[in-house]
Amino acid sequence: MSAERLRMAIPKGALFEGSLRVLRAAGIEIGALADPGRLLIVDTDEIRFIIGKPTDIPSYVAYGAADVAIAGADVLAEAALDVAELADLRFGACRFVVAEREDAGASIADSYRRLGVIRVATKYPRITEAYYADHGVQVEIVKLHGNIELAPLIGLADQVVDITATGTTLRDNHLRIVDEVLSSSARFVANPVAVRIDSQRVMDMAGRLARAAGEVEQS
Amino acid sequence: MRPVTPRGFRDVLFEEAAERRTVTAAVSAVFAGYGFRFVETPAVEEYRTLEAAGASLEGTAFRMVDLDGSLLALRPEMTLPIARLAASRLIGEPAPHRLCYAADVYREQASLRGEARQFTQVGVELLGVNGPASDAEVVCVLVDVLAAVGLRDFTVGIGTVAVLRALIAAAGAGETWSAELLAAAHARNLVEFDRLASLASVEPAVGEALRRVVRIGGGREAIGECRRVADAVGCADSLDALEAAWGLLEAAGLADRVRVDFGILRSFDYYTGLIVEAYAPGLGLPLGGGGRYDDVLAAFGAPMPAAGFALSLERVLIALAAQDVAIPARGLDAVVGGEDVEVARTAAALRGAGWTVRMTGARDDAGLIAEAAAAGATWRVLAGEAVARSHDGRTLALDPVPAPALEGGAR
Repeated sequence: MSAERLRMAIPKGALFEGSLRVLRAAGIEIGALADPGRLLIVDTDEIRFIIGKPTDIPSYVAYGAADVAIAGADVLAEAALDVAELADLRFGACRFVVAEREDAGASIADSYRRLGVIRVATKYPRITEAYYADHGVQVEIVKLHGNIELAPLIGLADQVVDITATGTTLRDNHLRIVDEVLSSSARFVANPVAVRIDSQRVMDMAGRLARAAGEVEQS
Repeated sequence: MRPVTPRGFRDVLFEEAAERRTVTAAVSAVFAGYGFRFVETPAVEEYRTLEAAGASLEGTAFRMVDLDGSLLALRPEMTLPIARLAASRLIGEPAPHRLCYAADVYREQASLRGEARQFTQVGVELLGVNGPASDAEVVCVLVDVLAAVGLRDFTVGIGTVAVLRALIAAAGAGETWSAELLAAAHARNLVEFDRLASLASVEPAVGEALRRVVRIGGGREAIGECRRVADAVGCADSLDALEAAWGLLEAAGLADRVRVDFGILRSFDYYTGLIVEAYAPGLGLPLGGGGRYDDVLAAFGAPMPAAGFALSLERVLIALAAQDVAIPARGLDAVVGGEDVEVARTAAALRGAGWTVRMTGARDDAGLIAEAAAAGATWRVLAGEAVARSHDGRTLALDPVPAPALEGGAR
């Protein structure tokens, strides 16, 4: 096993550049990963990089198709799969927030009193369900795949649960943040078996990346 | 309509079914070699029985209500049914009890996760005795089983929850914190675990020890390292049982197949000491695992210490396939054709001599050749002739019928 390359899944999209920065800072040879074009698998001497959709990364790791990965804490929480979370890589910070129309406060409270349920749109039904359950609020959850901030504007939902880095998109669409659900950043994760039987390589990698993440953050 | 099996359930056909039986037989032989005896329990248990033992059943157990209104559950694992059996049927029997099983278990799974809802567990439970000798025995059985089924490459990891529990008690940070820390450990979330261990309310030396302990692994030296870390906060005793068990594994000559790993944190809530897991490289899920659960039988009014493990038969077969291990299967020795009465008489004579024989409707040698090829039989016999013929031109005299040739018996 240890003779083979470590298989590391890397999320394309918002966390991709940050992942490269931390890998470079840790002194890890990334080869063609710097500019993969349409490649989905990039091999270096040490590592096989697998480039995947962020929300699919937890599945790659949980089922052992990748030994380790970089994934957002938000995506991990939503997937609720069995992966070992080994280090906080500190980049890709974003917050899960509850938002509603700037002018909606009273009308939501009123309709909740009369209808006993509020409707929430989100890409993250599991996190959303847990949040409202913790607050004892009855909700109907509508799962959407994008442009969540649109839902309150077109009357599809009273509130939304979504991720935001700066809050700009929400503000531009006249939504205001009413609560924070959780904060997220990129994590280094491993398959639970890989972390046990290949623990030297996996834990070394976790240590190197965690230290590098600290340096990147300082700089 | 074209019928289908329900999601997560499946049929098992010929080759796989044969391999499952062969592997189960090899496992059973090892169990018997340690004096374990097979038991069977019903597929269904009272839901409250499982609940009383503190199993986390939410979202995992298949539940049903019977005509009397009792809430029942299909067994999601075998440890609790065996504990229930021991607490009800073995009262007054002299302990220890060495029980083993090969049984189907059922777990609810969400859609589209590619997970089975029925699978087969093989395992042992050693009840009524505790201490390093029984811990080591359970680990020895596990190692021997994995070797006996033919796995070339596997790892057995052992650890103990005693260290973590002792450190949590020493931290003095309250029940809520303890529960959160255990939850983080079970979720294998080291980021959250480290955060909780570093809180101001936690005795700093204990927090440091917690962060270090879950990262220690190796051979005997790992136990020493863990002991030094735990000793600094007065928790060294929690390692005594594991260290003694390790000595016994060395004595049994199995220590080189076992790895100490204080990061193993199984997500069942009822373990009190030893924990053990088995892995095969390339398989992203453990082959199985178990440990010591000394408090479970007290919940059934029959307090006695207990330890055991369960392996997933399906995952063992996946690992065997991944390692290209051939599983010997008994093939078909002969097909017989010809006149019906003669076929019946000849086939009976061959079976009486230990052959595996399929009777066919073929009337002549050409028909038999086709039947033999289709069935993968080594020999073809035209009833009434005292000779068997193979596809490559060999002949075998059948007067008297010889024992089936090894080459034909084992494919």
